[in-house]
Amino acid sequence: MNEEKTIRLDRMRYMKNTLSSGFALLAILFDVCFFISIYESDVGSWYYTILVGGSILYNLIFMLAAFLSSEGVKNYKIGYSYLMIVLGIIQIARIFVYPVRAHGAVVTIQEQAVTVMETAQFTRVVIYLVLSAACLFIGAIAGIIRSRALAGHLASLDSQAA
Amino acid sequence: MAQLNIQHVDKIYDNNVQAVFDFNLDVKDGELIVLVGPSGCGKSTTLRMIAGLEDISAGHLLLDGKDITQAPAKDRDMAMVFQNYALYGHMTIYENMAFSLTLRKENPNVIHKKVLAAAEILGLTSQLNKKPSQLSGGQRQRVAMGRSIVRNPKVFLFDEPLSNLDAKLRGATRREILLLHKRLQATMLYVTHDQTEALTLADRIVCMSMGHVQQVGTPIELYDAPANKFVASFIGLPPMNFFDVTVREGMLEGKGFTVPLTEEEKGVLLPYAGREIDLGVRPEDVAADGDIAMSVFSNENLGMNTLVHGHIGHSGAASNKISAKLRGWCDYKDGDSVGVSFSRKHFFDKESGNAIRKGEKA
Repeated sequence: MNEEKTIRLDRMRYMKNTLSSGFALLAILFDVCFFISIYESDVGSWYYTILVGGSILYNLIFMLAAFLSSEGVKNYKIGYSYLMIVLGIIQIARIFVYPVRAHGAVVTIQEQAVTVMETAQFTRVVIYLVLSAACLFIGAIAGIIRSRALAGHLASLDSQAA
Repeated sequence: MAQLNIQHVDKIYDNNVQAVFDFNLDVKDGELIVLVGPSGCGKSTTLRMIAGLEDISAGHLLLDGKDITQAPAKDRDMAMVFQNYALYGHMTIYENMAFSLTLRKENPNVIHKKVLAAAEILGLTSQLNKKPSQLSGGQRQRVAMGRSIVRNPKVFLFDEPLSNLDAKLRGATRREILLLHKRLQATMLYVTHDQTEALTLADRIVCMSMGHVQQVGTPIELYDAPANKFVASFIGLPPMNFFDVTVREGMLEGKGFTVPLTEEEKGVLLPYAGREIDLGVRPEDVAADGDIAMSVFSNENLGMNTLVHGHIGHSGAASNKISAKLRGWCDYKDGDSVGVSFSRKHFFDKESGNAIRKGEKA
């Protein structure tokens, strides 16, 4: 291992993993954009109201979990990287829970046929969810790589000290 | 490191108050200069002018021969350590120490090496992941010093760095600064109002009062041969005793007491025959083995020494008060009379306050 790489690893002992935590916070930002966008839906029936309501409730859980993950990965805690992967998978799955069902669906509001989610809105919310998931995956992968590298470096320091 | 020349520097504020008068000093490479004086004497102002935090009203400042009088602070290659540490509370110690280099966009690996080296010097390696609030005052001040060390500046400036520390910690940190200076061989300017710090740290001391330099010299020069009454009273703890005396044939005549003179002292005071002068005697130069009657009014036992306060001669004369630092544990009572002698004396001109030295005309 060359000196530069060793120093880079050693720096991790004192520097936070801001890359991973930054991506986690970015994922929250895209999620906020997503849930702002779904309010534009003309739900019109209990079915879509419940789906939107459930999505909003999950947003609260997501934001809490993603924020905790951002703090965890900042300190190279590998478990939080795995949590970020799970959250990313859920973000992808959410595309099929509400946006796909609402896209193009027609409901009657005050005796008028209304589309629940137009294509433009659908495209937007899908992009937000995909971006949110992508940020979580990138942050998680970076977190795992860095956490493992740091653990290896600390182990080598311990063995040198012994 | 660097050589610093301060030439005829004045500081005049906008309201026409002059804080520093004609300050001249040549700081040699690797020298530790201590600026000492009472509050408001202009020592911090002088340091801030050197750092570039205050404009210089007149005069010149040269660093390695280059005129930096008008140069902004960031271009002076000097690092300043403040009394209140000035650390960023939300950053770790590592980040605090690396901060100035990060701002300069230095290579992170180089920054890492410098921070670790500075932390090693200051014994902060195990504290690097902590926040400033988790450290003691002494450790915080070491972090502040570390932040200066990583920059590898030409000149280090310290503005009363130990004033916020308790007495024990102050002593320990003082020794660390001394070791740091020996290790780095850096040019340092250090401001303090504590004469103990000045005497223990300095290669040379600049003693200031009311914006004027009173004396520049080594600690022993200022202690042994003060240039004037102000330096004599400021340097030394407890402070020097002063008595109004008149020079008589072979002796000094005070208010109700006389002090014999040695042959050398007679020679020094020859031009002052019959005139009033100030006699200065350090408390540690008073011995309880003489003919001058001292009436005791308080007694402070310090273990190795006893600080005895009293008066000689007429008790009503304010100038006859005396403090004596006597060896050993003494147990004098109020009103006890002790015969004292003065092993060393300092003489000062009554009008100018300047020291009277051999060969000088009155």
